[in-house]
Amino acid sequence: MAETAKTYGLIAEFETPADTMHAAERVRDAGYQKWDVFSPFPIHGMDKAMGMKNSKVGWFSFLGGATGYTTGMLMIWFMNAIDYPLVVGGKPMFSPFGAFPVAYEMTILLGAFGAILGMMFLNRLPRLHHPLLKHGRFSLVTHDRFFVVIETSDPKYSELEIRKLLEAAGSKRIEVVEE
Amino acid sequence: MSSHTPSATPPPLDLSKWQKVPTLLIAIGGLLAFLGAFVNVKQFGYSWLLAFMFFLSFCLGALFLVLVHHIFDASWSVPIRRFVEHIACLAPVMAVLFIPIALLAGKLYPWMSSDPLHDHALKAKLPLFTAPMFYIVSAICFTSWWFFSSKLRYWSLKQDETGSAECTFKMRRLAATGVFVFAITLSLGAVMWMKALQHEWFSTMYAVYYFAGSVWMTLATVYLIAYLLKRQGPLKDVVHETQFYFIGSLLFAFTVFYAYIHFSQYFIIWNGNMPEETFWYILREKGSWWDVGMILIFGHFFLPFLLLLRIDAKLSWVMAPIAVWAWLMHFIDLSYNVMPIWHPEGFVLHWMDLACIAFMAGVVIKVFLKSFAAHPPYPQQDPRFSEAMGVYIAPIIVPLESKPSGHRAK
Repeated sequence: MAETAKTYGLIAEFETPADTMHAAERVRDAGYQKWDVFSPFPIHGMDKAMGMKNSKVGWFSFLGGATGYTTGMLMIWFMNAIDYPLVVGGKPMFSPFGAFPVAYEMTILLGAFGAILGMMFLNRLPRLHHPLLKHGRFSLVTHDRFFVVIETSDPKYSELEIRKLLEAAGSKRIEVVEE
Repeated sequence: MSSHTPSATPPPLDLSKWQKVPTLLIAIGGLLAFLGAFVNVKQFGYSWLLAFMFFLSFCLGALFLVLVHHIFDASWSVPIRRFVEHIACLAPVMAVLFIPIALLAGKLYPWMSSDPLHDHALKAKLPLFTAPMFYIVSAICFTSWWFFSSKLRYWSLKQDETGSAECTFKMRRLAATGVFVFAITLSLGAVMWMKALQHEWFSTMYAVYYFAGSVWMTLATVYLIAYLLKRQGPLKDVVHETQFYFIGSLLFAFTVFYAYIHFSQYFIIWNGNMPEETFWYILREKGSWWDVGMILIFGHFFLPFLLLLRIDAKLSWVMAPIAVWAWLMHFIDLSYNVMPIWHPEGFVLHWMDLACIAFMAGVVIKVFLKSFAAHPPYPQQDPRFSEAMGVYIAPIIVPLESKPSGHRAK
């Protein structure tokens, strides 16, 4: 395939977490939307520096948990009180107390599933390829380098402006990433 | 963490017209409680016990927070530690407030007039459940709380002057022993003063149940006090988002912990289904006590749980109503423990309950404000202070040979 390669975005390399953080603040303040920061470890305060809102994963785990709780309760109610009524220890056929431990476990289980699946869904995982993986120096992100990537799909994308912005932020190496 | 937080502090509130409130509470509450003791001494005794256990919760909850702060060598809680130490130092006040209970013990606790020869449940608890032991245990409890709370505050205040790390080590050692003594004495207190109202009953969860509720309410109160002190000025520059967020998270954790403990106690008794245990809850399922139980499930657990679930809730306006709600819920929870034996027909909010609460609230607030005004509002020279402020100060590297001898390396 010899078509002209499309550009994915601009990648800027940084050497310290502090530089990366300040760069992120500049990019945030310049109003870009389609961009991301990559680092070998979590940097505290980066969410704020990037202007990111609360993650939506919580909603998935909440829904998962609520589903799990309801399922557990309904399951035991159906099994012990409807499908096969069974008297245990002279207790009522169904009591929320007896069913609670199981319903609680189901809450945790489906809550965890919700969190994992929600995270994968929001991150569009699994995916087999990402343009950044082709970029030679990007593998350093698992070692000691920090990267800020602004994508071409950003409505404000302009190679010149971004180069200026990231250079001012202290990046010594700004390159184009091809699709 | 979102940005619409207590860090953007609004201007201080004008609290001048509230200054007389503690005195008024003491005067009116004290007068009514005193009259009540003549009107109906038994009702007075139970109301007083309820109010006493309620305010003891603050004192013990605060002592626990101080102990835990030192044991975990925490840094974030340094700025809020001083006023929590003052709350813990209310122990001698609580000892004085205990006097009416000590005097009325024979009337309040049916086991005191019961004969161990005919009462197996009492005989089984004999070394502990005798009148002299009741007073000895009470004395031990107050003495240990007084000892640990005042010692911890003493070294904390000492550090304000010297700034020496030695004070931190002293406090840490005190806390490491103190937490065991705390666990034992809190259990003894909860058992002897509250659970012994129905001495035939047994539950190994009981002390933890009182503990969980107490720390829960204390955390809500600490949040509120920290917010007010920040807004009024004394803690303006030292209490930040981190502190509020962590207190809020702990409050959330204890919301769940309380529910877990109380559910476990109920569940084990429900599952075991033995008359020796179930009678305690059966009494509390009669009349309006049933509804109180429901209020505890939904109001003490579900409502705060759902409100605090979101990460940004811990920094939102919702925390102030939750603090007030926590007082109400803890009061109802203790009422659920103390009152059914005296009002088996259902929940009664007696005027003497309010009088005793008002009186003790006045006393406790007055003593707290007095100690707060007498000392620096936050630890001045704690070695962890800059860490708590999120400031990194590079350590001074002292060459090995010039290190003063006898100093422990850290």
